[in-house]
Amino acid sequence: MTFKKLAISMSFAVFVVYGVLILSLFYFYNGRLFFDTLISERTLFSIRLSLFTATVATLISVFFAIPSAYALSRFRFPGRQMIDTILELPMIISPVALGAVVLIFFNTPPGVFVQGKGIQFVFTIYGIFLAQFITTVGISIRLIKAAMDEIPVRYEEVARTLGASPAKAFFTVTIPLSKKGIIAASILTWAKALGEFGATITIAGSMAMKTETIPIAIFMRLASADIEGTVVLVLILITIGLGTLYGVRLLTRKATALIR
Amino acid sequence: MPLIELKNIQKHVLRDINLTIRDRELLALVGPNGAGKTTILNIVAGLTDYQGEVLFDGSTMDKTPPHKRGVGYLFQDLALFPHLDVAANIAYGLRIQKYPEATIAKRVKELMDALHISRLEKRHPHSLSGGEKQRVAIARAIAPFQKILLLDEPTASLDSQTSKYLRIELCSLLKKLEITAIFVMHDLLGAEEVADRIAILHKGTIEQISRPGDILFNPKTRMVSEFIGMPNILHCDDCRILSSGLIEVVSGNMTIVLPYEGSTIKKIAIPPHDIYISDTKPPGPALNRYRATVTEIVPLRSVVRIKVNIDGNSLLTELPMETFGEMNLDIGQEVFVIIKLRRLRYVEEFDDYHR
Repeated sequence: MTFKKLAISMSFAVFVVYGVLILSLFYFYNGRLFFDTLISERTLFSIRLSLFTATVATLISVFFAIPSAYALSRFRFPGRQMIDTILELPMIISPVALGAVVLIFFNTPPGVFVQGKGIQFVFTIYGIFLAQFITTVGISIRLIKAAMDEIPVRYEEVARTLGASPAKAFFTVTIPLSKKGIIAASILTWAKALGEFGATITIAGSMAMKTETIPIAIFMRLASADIEGTVVLVLILITIGLGTLYGVRLLTRKATALIR
Repeated sequence: MPLIELKNIQKHVLRDINLTIRDRELLALVGPNGAGKTTILNIVAGLTDYQGEVLFDGSTMDKTPPHKRGVGYLFQDLALFPHLDVAANIAYGLRIQKYPEATIAKRVKELMDALHISRLEKRHPHSLSGGEKQRVAIARAIAPFQKILLLDEPTASLDSQTSKYLRIELCSLLKKLEITAIFVMHDLLGAEEVADRIAILHKGTIEQISRPGDILFNPKTRMVSEFIGMPNILHCDDCRILSSGLIEVVSGNMTIVLPYEGSTIKKIAIPPHDIYISDTKPPGPALNRYRATVTEIVPLRSVVRIKVNIDGNSLLTELPMETFGEMNLDIGQEVFVIIKLRRLRYVEEFDDYHR
């Protein structure tokens, strides 16, 4: 077997693992139950909640990530290494632990103050935003920084000599040139937020019709041994997730083909 | 505004650079790699910090950020914005500085016409040839009515023919638009074609700054002399005008024929690598072909310097190591020497400089 064939077969092997897992869902698939579960108020609420929170959390993450990524990519400043390292935190400690840390914070005096005078996070939709934000912002920064690292500083220097202030150069050159990377980073951030479970359940709890996102609903069904219901929700999550990723990829391909 | 003064500039390799560029002057910075040429451009543009003073028309620029200096910069890698078409690339500076759309359209059209790139208006940089990119980058750099232009090896990436054509065209455009320019070049001959003055830079210091011909005929330091390739300088004893724009010059016991329209030539410079040596009689006309004796052989790293004697005139020649290896030359050997006609440089009686 040539190396090329070996490499290609490895990629197919990975595909088969996922394929078999997804196919196995259909062993417990029940057509009528699927539609009943799908159109039930509780499921529809979970879908809406998941889509809404993932979108809001992504917007907040990307809003923080773009300038942070730019700073890390372009400037050498004291504390840069420290910030760069702490971005790994969501990747190295489990989301449950991250959620637990947040809960603990809200039990300290500053946390109590925020909860009392500011926004109530624990067991609310704001808790979901927060949980999804803290688990995704690090990755978001990393991905956008990688995209910005690819763009030579030279373009900004050219813009500066043509009369652009640093901010103008950023908005008229760096942002348009890293647009593709920013979109890709946003999609992955959104997908990660959509599937976020550990931190969300720890901070926002698992209240039906209040903080029950799709992953939490799946956990609740499984915990009550409702296999068919679990299958339905997993299929919904897969369809929304993959469907969105695929759709956005198609769109960006068209968009990038246009600017090329 | 375009009078540029650098006072006691220090940065990296640069040591105490003092330089004045006159209004509407084209100054070339020439020197080997690592001499600090690009660093000087970056300092004038304000893209890097430095010690010392930069003044434009007498006012200090040291605290002025690049976008307020009004200095156009043609970078070596051009860096055309890949997301904008040619017209938008050229218009970028004007848009950023909020010129009215009518002014922008007029200026962009003017520059595209002047640089013969109107037909490229809607194209994106990735679809342009090297020469076309160069033209677009030049137009973009001067579009926002910049009075100072910095050019880093503006034609280095082009083939010699395109490069020469563009250099001359660029030069006349800069004169027409009354732009003061600093060129960085690594090759003296290219610089001679465009510059009013040439500064030779070596290891962060200016070795010599003078008019193009002066450097070739009067190198002030050993470094300059070596950098320009230690040309043979022949003093002319007598001149005789031949037909069809040729002149015969007598120097010692040698006569050299070269294309020339005037009457009298004072000195001739012949770069050593433009003198051919052959151990057999070469075919073709006997023009500028001499019998000579090898008097000295000095092997260097990739070339061999050979001194030959032509009827009492001593000339320095240079052969690539490979060619030398194939020829078996020895001191005292008789050889044929041919001088390439088109590479000769000369000084006229009234001390003007020509090619």
